[in-house]
Amino acid sequence: MEELNFEESLEKLEEIVNKLETGDVPLDDAIDEFTKAMDLVKICNTKLNNAEEAIAKIVKDNGELENFNPNE
Amino acid sequence: MDDEYLTVSQVNAYINRMLKYDRNLQNIYIRGEISNYKTYPSGHSYFTLKDDKSQIPAVMFKGRKHSLKFQPEDGMKVIIKGKIEVYERDGKYQLYATTITEDGIGELHIAFEQLKKKLDSEGLFDDAHKKEIPKYPQRIGVVTARTGAAIRDIITTIKRRYPYCEVLVFSTLVQGEMAANQIVRQIRHAQQFDIDTLIVGRGGGSIEDLWPFNEEIVAREIYACRIPVISAVGHEIDWTISDFVADIRAATPTAAAEIAVPEISEVKYKLNQLTQRTNKAINEKLIQNKQKIENISQKQIFKNPESIYEIKQMHLDNLIGKLNLTSKNIITENRNRLLKIESRSVLRNPNEVTKAKRDIFIRNVDKLTILDPLLTLKRGYSIAKMDDKVVSSAKDVKTGDELDIEFDDGTVNTKVI
Repeated sequence: MEELNFEESLEKLEEIVNKLETGDVPLDDAIDEFTKAMDLVKICNTKLNNAEEAIAKIVKDNGELENFNPNE
Repeated sequence: MDDEYLTVSQVNAYINRMLKYDRNLQNIYIRGEISNYKTYPSGHSYFTLKDDKSQIPAVMFKGRKHSLKFQPEDGMKVIIKGKIEVYERDGKYQLYATTITEDGIGELHIAFEQLKKKLDSEGLFDDAHKKEIPKYPQRIGVVTARTGAAIRDIITTIKRRYPYCEVLVFSTLVQGEMAANQIVRQIRHAQQFDIDTLIVGRGGGSIEDLWPFNEEIVAREIYACRIPVISAVGHEIDWTISDFVADIRAATPTAAAEIAVPEISEVKYKLNQLTQRTNKAINEKLIQNKQKIENISQKQIFKNPESIYEIKQMHLDNLIGKLNLTSKNIITENRNRLLKIESRSVLRNPNEVTKAKRDIFIRNVDKLTILDPLLTLKRGYSIAKMDDKVVSSAKDVKTGDELDIEFDDGTVNTKVI
């Protein structure tokens, strides 16, 4: 499967679920779709669980990034 | 004719209608000084608005007063927004005030309204132009002051809701003469980064403080921005031009952060829901198909497969039976026919046939013998002929005719006398 970002993965997953829920997908296709869906669930979960907490950064005029703490 | 004369009421009503048709008079901003300001027990206020040369009576109804941010007093220089109509009872035109603002600030209001009208007519506020805000952004840009409550609220809210989202701060002045230019520059700068959504704004302040977000260059830069923009200027009640032109307006900086990122627990819940729904859907599909197989295998034919050929066998037997019967019948029938033919008397006694034929022959010979004319002549009869035709009546002949008389043994020529 091509590299999808989180939003695309979730959307694709939703699309597949909706399709499966209509019930008129032939069994073979349904199993294919199910496999795809499970891959997407895995991708989403991995992205969610492995995501690191991002640190806010300030962008300097020259484009450099610097860690930023608004409470300082 | 009576119709030529109008009543006073008709004239006043007519003039009033003329004024109401005039768009300029229906939406007017007037600058002037308040005098004779009086509030009656009804709650309505009556006053005169004047400049050094002229004056106009004015009224502000009780229902409009909630918009007043100050108590009007005689001598105050104000900007009044309202309409001019005729008070028909007295036949005088007057100003009906909808808002009264102190002059100075009023100028900003006018500028605001004018720019709003201009940009609106250019289509900068059209819904068709609004971009959708990404639901699960990876990186949010914020154009605001690096110090102050706004950036703190935004970062805190994003970290609480969706901690994986990176925040890039593009710091700018947010008030004063220089602010508008800096805001524009930072919106441009932000577009050089891979950003999902841009928040542009600041915390609360006076109308002058918020003013940079009412500047035309800022509005146009927000409109032109490729990245979806959430505007977050001041508090709930503050509306700026930036709010109208942005893809979505947030009431406060915190609200902007809430719009920009989802709640992580909601995302996890949603993913869970989707996973469960997928499993349920495929299970139902499998159960459905299993059921189908069971239904099919329950059918008689699978329980008792012999029945497939038993029926055929029966049919075949039936056909063989019919075949046997038919051939027997044919043979019997033919045999019977043969017997019938054989039993006929002709075949049994052929002599009878010849005898019968001979009898007929003899009878026919006898008949011929009786009819033979020569035999008649032998018995003494003769035949009279004239010109080879038999004469059978005495009337056919006259005296002098020659007749041939035929006898058995010859012919005699005669003449009738």
